[in-house]
Amino acid sequence: MQPGDDRRARLWLLGAFLGGIMLHLSQLPPWITLGALLCAAWCLAGIVGRVPLPGKRLRGALVAGLTIGVLAAFHTLNGLAAGTALLALMGAMKLLETRTRRDGYIVVAVALCLLLAACLGNQDLPHAPLYLVQAWLCVTALAATAHPQAAAHTRRLASLSARSLLLALPLAMAMFLLFPRLTGGFWSVGASRVSTGLSDSMSPGSISELGESSDPVFRVWFQGPPPPPQERYWRGPVLHEFDGYTWRRTPGLQYPAEQLDYTGAVYHYRVRLEPDTGPWWLALDTIRSTDAAGATITPDRQLVARHPVHDPVTYDAVSYTFTRSTDRLNHLTQLLDTALPPRRNPRSVRLAQQLRAAAPDAHAFVTRVLDLFRHGGFSYTLTPPLLDLNSVDDFLFNTRQGFCGHFASAFVTLMRAGGLPARVVTGYQGGEWNPLGGYLLVRRSDAHAWAEIWLQGQGWVRVDPTAVVAPERLRRGALDVLPDAGSASERLMYEITWLNRLHQGWDAANAWWSTRLVGYDFHAQSRLLQALGLSARSWQQLGALLTAALGLWLLAVTLSFNRLPRARPHRLARAYALLCARLGSAGFARRPDEGPVTYARSLATAPQAFGAAARQLLERYARLRFGADTPTEAELEQFERDVRGLRLARRSSRR
Amino acid sequence: MNRPGWWTTLRAVQRRRAAAWIRRRQGADALPVTLQRRRIYILPTRAGLGFALLLLVMLVAGLNYANSIALFLTFVLAGLSLVSMHACHRNLLQVRINRIDTEPAFAGSQALVHLVLMEDAGLPRPDIRVDGDGTTGTVCDLPMHAEGRLELLLATPRRGLMPLGRVRITTTYPFGLFRAWTWLHPPHTITVYPAPAGARPMPIAPGARQGTHMHGPDADEWSGLRAWREGDSPRQVAWTVYARGLPLMVKEYSAAGSDDRLFDFAALDGAGTEQRLSQLARWILDAESAGARYALRLPGDRIQTGHGLAHRHRCLAALALYQPPARTTTPEPSHATG
Repeated sequence: MQPGDDRRARLWLLGAFLGGIMLHLSQLPPWITLGALLCAAWCLAGIVGRVPLPGKRLRGALVAGLTIGVLAAFHTLNGLAAGTALLALMGAMKLLETRTRRDGYIVVAVALCLLLAACLGNQDLPHAPLYLVQAWLCVTALAATAHPQAAAHTRRLASLSARSLLLALPLAMAMFLLFPRLTGGFWSVGASRVSTGLSDSMSPGSISELGESSDPVFRVWFQGPPPPPQERYWRGPVLHEFDGYTWRRTPGLQYPAEQLDYTGAVYHYRVRLEPDTGPWWLALDTIRSTDAAGATITPDRQLVARHPVHDPVTYDAVSYTFTRSTDRLNHLTQLLDTALPPRRNPRSVRLAQQLRAAAPDAHAFVTRVLDLFRHGGFSYTLTPPLLDLNSVDDFLFNTRQGFCGHFASAFVTLMRAGGLPARVVTGYQGGEWNPLGGYLLVRRSDAHAWAEIWLQGQGWVRVDPTAVVAPERLRRGALDVLPDAGSASERLMYEITWLNRLHQGWDAANAWWSTRLVGYDFHAQSRLLQALGLSARSWQQLGALLTAALGLWLLAVTLSFNRLPRARPHRLARAYALLCARLGSAGFARRPDEGPVTYARSLATAPQAFGAAARQLLERYARLRFGADTPTEAELEQFERDVRGLRLARRSSRR
Repeated sequence: MNRPGWWTTLRAVQRRRAAAWIRRRQGADALPVTLQRRRIYILPTRAGLGFALLLLVMLVAGLNYANSIALFLTFVLAGLSLVSMHACHRNLLQVRINRIDTEPAFAGSQALVHLVLMEDAGLPRPDIRVDGDGTTGTVCDLPMHAEGRLELLLATPRRGLMPLGRVRITTTYPFGLFRAWTWLHPPHTITVYPAPAGARPMPIAPGARQGTHMHGPDADEWSGLRAWREGDSPRQVAWTVYARGLPLMVKEYSAAGSDDRLFDFAALDGAGTEQRLSQLARWILDAESAGARYALRLPGDRIQTGHGLAHRHRCLAALALYQPPARTTTPEPSHATG
């Protein structure tokens, strides 16, 4: 082994380690990154410039100091962030003492652990190529460490690891699909992330905060055509309680749900929620059934998760866009949904009572109130003025500018004041159809609030006062209606068609990635197995499938490998075989026991010119084959040419 | 590593049984040997076991966090280790061991074993190693359709014809996660000469010049210095040169005249068989390096006067293979077994 080879192997190790650090650049505290980079630079100086590496005592002191530093920064050595930081530092220290092969293996292991930590932290599509490159770097470093003399051929080494990874890919896919997944974890993972979706309360302005972002919230794949834009109401928290300013959900509300007749169009669809959207799982209004195991349908037709989920969620559901109910409203709901806070919004209450008194029936009352919104000089804006504590009074009689939440709040207040049971429903309205991915993308800017009123004989009826004020909101979405919604770049994206197309393509790729790969969990696996006709989800069946896949893969790899050792014979052997065949066809076949020299001697009876040439060729073969020197390419080529060019003289029989 | 005694014993017993089993199922090897599947064994290395542990950690983390990408990474690496197993096994498959040459050695030193390997299956074979029971040899890379040479040093504790025993060809290519190996049981033997020793003066052959009044190499004309070689007598070493910090040199004498010598086993009285043989070996080396001609007489055997490497080997081999007659009192064990 040459010392140069060893240096190359250490360079690969350095590369793998630096790759691991790069994956964590945004998460690691700067001083740790800096420390790791300094160690790497030191290691590089040691490789290239023969700078002495630190001694045992200095390294020991450094390790102790750095551990204390991590403890001080994170207050723990547990957890992903602190663990990653510690791993980065220890790997950096190990770089400074890569003397034996074992040290090299440890650095590779550290680089792989850094890669694992990066995967655990972020599963986005844009990171996938980085992970791939890092895996390749680690494997190459492993090969270089195991065989430093092989590291001399950089390209061969690089292609060796790339080819090995490629060969491993089919098996990895089979294992990915078939390896039994868990429904929960072995131990609970503490998540400290903040959910960014809808909340269980709504005060003036809270929904417009959501509207400022165009981050995706969920995507929906429909079996069949999607519902028309004006029917895309995605039902979230239903708010019953009002204190004059803020609407709140009533947790744990239990009452017998009304009997519904599901009419109208039926939609079967699959929803894929982005992570951290809170406990509200969105469903098309009105949901009838779902396979979502972690969530329940409440009496007011929300889909609520039993436990907060911080990972992406996928579920199937069935919804009808129109329902009616001939039941009587139960007493509890009657009380809850007609209650108004005492002494709040007095002018609004009075107005509603006057309108109710003037109207012959509930329908007329609703129409009057909607007319008030339509002709009362109200405008729809994302940045409404602030309201005082009597928010409805302030909105209806002063500012008259509001977002969907303002209109819904005011409308429900007026309905309740007029004696009609009413409630606020929050959720999302609309969504962007992605023709490439065949799904509907709902963003946070699609957040919406509307109202539901109880009409005897019809049940709960959806009324969207925003639609009265800004009808185009339902058709085109808030981003299109409001000049100030979304950032400048997002608006630009929205307005330039080809850019938008590109954006949709990227989103479709992301969606595929996050549903098919990242989202492949216990439930997705169950669905796949069901589609394969394995109704019962048993370990035996999975094991059998997995074994079969492994066997197939091994067979394929073995076959592809074993073709190589049975490669074509060496060109010299081929040329000799050709020569023998040609001489044989001329009537001078070689006897099996004859070697080239004895064969040449036996050609004594051959015609003069031909015999001499053939003898000369056979002797040349013997020299090339058994001589001390390995024949050169040129010699082989010349020999092949001469064998082909041998002039044959026919003879009827030999001896 | 501090292993308890019972552990070492257990390992030794297990090794012996494995060796016997392998010997039984493979039989003796007549060269050339082409390595086939049946005789290639493979197991993970320590690094491979460590890698498996790492994979287990990754699997548990991936399952626990229900993280598909981490799981996919784990499965890719698991696949990679299986690919590595295959590649490692294939790296030995159909390698041909064309020739094994052994060099004679003196007892108490080491014998050099040469192996000539041939790659004729159309696949480069990097990193092929050789080792024996307890010794490690050299490494070589076999290019496509080419020969490679490996060397192995074997300890030669005792005089006689030592069977080569078993030789292992191993590889850990490509990732060092697995080690594939094969055992060879070549029928070769190593001639182990007796260790040259003894300080008796070299006898003069009968009929040689009588005028000399001194015996031994000192009697010859001093002709120069040469580097020290295995088997040179300490008496010949130029200690004055060595004391000046130069390498060990040996004083050389040209043969002064035709002083043919006879080294007779029977003439060395008062010593055991092995001491006598060692003294004879010493004399042979001294005479050879002094350029003298010599003959050897052993009970029941006589080698005529001669000199040169072939003659030297003939004489030393005769010493190596010498078996004392049954009535000899020295009960020295002999290793002249096939």
